[in-house]
Amino acid sequence: MPPSFAGRWTPFWLSLPMLLIVALFFYIPVYLSFWWSFTLERPFGGGSEFVGFQNYARVLSDPIFWDAAWRTLVFMVFGSTLAIIVPLILALAADRMVPLSHTARNVLIWPKGIAGASIGVVFAFIFNPFVGIMAPLNGLFPGLWNPGSDGTDAFIMLLIAHVWNGIPFNFVILLAGLQAVPRSLTQAAAIDGASPWRRIRDVQLPMIAPQLFLTFVLEFTESVVSAFALIDTMTQGGPGGATRLLVYKIYQDGFKGYDLSGAATQSAILMVFVLCLAAFQFLYLEKKVRYER
Amino acid sequence: MSGDIVEDTRGIDRTASIVLALGLLFILGPLVFTLITASQSYDSFVRSGISPVPGTHLIENIRRLFTTTAIPAQVVNSFIVALMVAAFKCALAFVTAFGLVFFRVHYAGIVFAVLMGTVLLPLDLRVVTTYQVVSNVAMPVNGLLNATGINAMIAAFFGAPVDLQLNLLDSYPGIVLPALATGTGVFMMRQFFRTLPGDLVKAAQMDGAGWFRFMIDIALPLARTNLTALFILMFLGGWTMYLWPLLASSTPAMQTAVVGLARLSPQGDGQVPDYPLIMAGAVVVSILPLLMIAFLQRFIVRGLTLTEK
Repeated sequence: MPPSFAGRWTPFWLSLPMLLIVALFFYIPVYLSFWWSFTLERPFGGGSEFVGFQNYARVLSDPIFWDAAWRTLVFMVFGSTLAIIVPLILALAADRMVPLSHTARNVLIWPKGIAGASIGVVFAFIFNPFVGIMAPLNGLFPGLWNPGSDGTDAFIMLLIAHVWNGIPFNFVILLAGLQAVPRSLTQAAAIDGASPWRRIRDVQLPMIAPQLFLTFVLEFTESVVSAFALIDTMTQGGPGGATRLLVYKIYQDGFKGYDLSGAATQSAILMVFVLCLAAFQFLYLEKKVRYER
Repeated sequence: MSGDIVEDTRGIDRTASIVLALGLLFILGPLVFTLITASQSYDSFVRSGISPVPGTHLIENIRRLFTTTAIPAQVVNSFIVALMVAAFKCALAFVTAFGLVFFRVHYAGIVFAVLMGTVLLPLDLRVVTTYQVVSNVAMPVNGLLNATGINAMIAAFFGAPVDLQLNLLDSYPGIVLPALATGTGVFMMRQFFRTLPGDLVKAAQMDGAGWFRFMIDIALPLARTNLTALFILMFLGGWTMYLWPLLASSTPAMQTAVVGLARLSPQGDGQVPDYPLIMAGAVVVSILPLLMIAFLQRFIVRGLTLTEK
């Protein structure tokens, strides 16, 4: 038993400020989201009444909700996969300790200091079909690229910005994992005649499985949530709802349309989805990860 | 360089260099275009669009930014908000984790679990109702009085129930407080405290030091590097958050710089938007966190890898 200080209630008093903040700004809002999903809330404090599952019936029968949910899922799958594969490739390269590694390890972390909304503003400009980098190509092939009218273009633009902003964290975690792989292991594999590709597949990737697992766990939630800043600054959900993910729809419904109950219901659904995702990852995926070093 | 005796590494290293060069291009490209565009005059931009050649109007564009937009004041807001977020998160994390690690009480596990529950649902997922709470943080007190029937008694005696109002929207505390409601800092500090040898506590007790002396004179200096890493990460997090400050501040005077920058964006009225001005805004808004990242590198890498464990 490690030595410790006496005092039955001292830790409680020390944690009290944090507990109060968490209660007031985490648990009560989460509770309210679920409570409101069963009531009809009027905006501007106009009172509320209990309506049972009516909000859910209304939300779930709305094709726009399913459209947004589907796009959220697509963005989650493509966004988080790309946002891990790109930093993984870069981390594998940086781990080789070539002359560029030193610069790369500094510069690849820079996006951490740039807000999603800021890089959204910048990418919206760079990919502007008339004045951006695609303008010359658009001149040669009219209509080739226009995220303002083509939903696929807008979605691709969103994915690129998401990957750009997600590089630092995933790169640092994966590189730290790679550098902890004993050199003797990769050397032994090399002596046995394993090609670099074989070594990545059979030695390095299994060894950094815990880091890959962690980045996937965090990246799934991150891609559902952090897309808001990019959408709001790049596409506002358009064109024609092509980039309207749930997190953006909730904002539109709650703060532009004053449909508080609808927004709270969709928040509750999204929360349950994120919680299920986390539970699924911990229960099933974690078992498949080899932790031994 | 694995096995340079065993195999010819030049080919692999060349591939690695090309990959890294492409990565650097991907990260730096947008930043370079931002800087170049910020240095062009509106007229030359309208004529030639995006261009690889820098102009000479950077200072002029920044001056326009300072005279015609709210960005300068909003940068000050961002600084205050980020500073408050980082300082309070560090202080709360340090004190809370200290209590949970250096005392042996049966409820420590429950407190920790309650705090860690917060990492599952980020603030952006609960903005609708957080907005409602921040618009009247006394709401839970009212709710409690109503639910317990105390308010009915008060109403019977004094003619009206208690209805406390405390609106924190459009204020620094309103922007900062909800951002503090996450357990990552506590988690980081707890992990660190658990690596400290138990003999430290024993030695302090033999010298007659109580927990408070131990916390200030021993734990705090030891935690300095970790607290610095946490502070920098939380500062960057506070500076770059978007959805919550966008909702919590309704007037440009209270908005943070990132929100202000997004509001500079064109709303599509047919004219070529003033991109040189907007990009100058992006430069001004991002320069401080970028410098922090470039120069405080080792703290950031340390902080990011600490959150992992």
